[in-house]
Amino acid sequence: MKFDLDAVFVEHGCAGSALATRILGALARDVPVTHVADSDTREATRPAPGAPDPFGAGKRRLVIARRKTPFLAPCPAGSSEFACCGYLVLTLASNCPMDCSYCFLQEFLADNPSFQVYANFADSFDELDRLAANARGRIFRVGTGDLADSLAFDSITSISRDLIDFFASRENLTLELKTKTDEIENLLAMDPRGRVLVSWTLSPDAVYRSSEHLAAPPSARIAAARAVLDAGYRVAFHFDPLIAYPGAERDYILLIDELLDVVPPKQISFVSMGGLRMTPGLRGAARSRFPGDPMLCGEDVLASDGRFRTFTPLRLSLYRTLADRFRKAGAEIPSYLCMEPASVHESVFGAPPVRPAIIGKRLARG
Amino acid sequence: MNADEIDAQIRMLAAERRLPPSHLARWLAMDAASRAALLDIARVIRLRTGQLMTALDTLEEVAVREHVTVAAIFDRPEIRRIAGGPGSAPSRASALLEALRTLRYPLLKRMQEQIRSEVAALKLPRGISIVLPKELASDEFTVSLRVRSAAELAHLLEALDRSRPGLARIIEMLAGKK
Repeated sequence: MKFDLDAVFVEHGCAGSALATRILGALARDVPVTHVADSDTREATRPAPGAPDPFGAGKRRLVIARRKTPFLAPCPAGSSEFACCGYLVLTLASNCPMDCSYCFLQEFLADNPSFQVYANFADSFDELDRLAANARGRIFRVGTGDLADSLAFDSITSISRDLIDFFASRENLTLELKTKTDEIENLLAMDPRGRVLVSWTLSPDAVYRSSEHLAAPPSARIAAARAVLDAGYRVAFHFDPLIAYPGAERDYILLIDELLDVVPPKQISFVSMGGLRMTPGLRGAARSRFPGDPMLCGEDVLASDGRFRTFTPLRLSLYRTLADRFRKAGAEIPSYLCMEPASVHESVFGAPPVRPAIIGKRLARG
Repeated sequence: MNADEIDAQIRMLAAERRLPPSHLARWLAMDAASRAALLDIARVIRLRTGQLMTALDTLEEVAVREHVTVAAIFDRPEIRRIAGGPGSAPSRASALLEALRTLRYPLLKRMQEQIRSEVAALKLPRGISIVLPKELASDEFTVSLRVRSAAELAHLLEALDRSRPGLARIIEMLAGKK
């Protein structure tokens, strides 16, 4: 995707790194590059002073730095009140060049919105090897799409190549690259050996046009999924956030039909769903940045977890509509709900969720 | 009144009501017809500060949801009836906010009414109460029994048992099953 950067900051210790060399070589020459002392990196990640939209401005400031904390962590959405999918998060970047109106990063990264990529990302491979060595017999699904889109910056970092190369030779690790782009060029040049799955967040055209700024159109995402499937990758789809706008039920069914016309159900590794959920802070931030987006003004009410969610009968009815459509497709596609309690899972799928380690293994293996 | 005079009046009312500056700024950012329409109704039914803030928030959300102006919302018969209808200013203010909330949450309101009708149709005896989840934010509802004797308990449990199909329907409705 095209990057619209105002500035690049390179931490001194990263100046000669392979990642910095790749990025600076791929960027337009007119983007100013500043080298900053390691101790000043934090300042470069902070909101630009005086910017009318500090979060939006942060997306146009790229910071290449060392990550000083672990790369690998359990999914932060996991909680005792929700059924968990056993997902592990590998943070190789922070923030995203796309600008979805509902994105939780608007709140989560409000204090350090600059788009950061970590030059020492290869250190994460040691963490992954330690994880695998300490839990023999288990299979883990590890994704890079939590604080950033997994592929949105791949045209300038090519990190996907390093990741695929690493995961292709690890028997009990599966990489999930989660994206809303169609940036698959690097992927098509690699052999994942069955250990990489690429997942797309899918939304109907109405949501894409209203809320998913700079993302690839849904049909382009589906076409990209077909292309990587043909190249030996596994594919999965996240209907998250699921937005209950007027006409949503019909639009989501049309979207699923479009998907199943291109990707046979038997070749879908899994499907996840998660209703739009926003803390009051995120809701305020999102509405103030996108005051005209009707998708942010759904019939949402404050739920017991402190988040605004579509009122329960409507939300569950929409989940069930999607689940039924996939069920009718004739293949048992593993499915789960994100950030929903076990009772909702049971109500939608007719069975209680399995333990995180088991579902994690099931989703990782495909 | 021209636009400047309307804005001056809005500022004066906002000062009287101690409306937060962010709300005043949003009011003044509306199109001219919408600014004037809200001023008019705020005066006629004497919206208090909290009511004015709620009205502003709800109106903005309805306008975004339906791609209409605030003036167009005030022009709807159900809103005009409240603005120009009988009753005290406070009761009309409450009715206005309730009507706006129905526009903002149409499916929620309809579902709440349907479930309340189901509950009423159970004709449960005194001593049994059903509390629905606030704003249907959950799929869980509470049934409570208030008894003083074993006989009373037996009577209420029998009544509950007879209501089992109706209660099951309410459970299904809360779970979004059509």
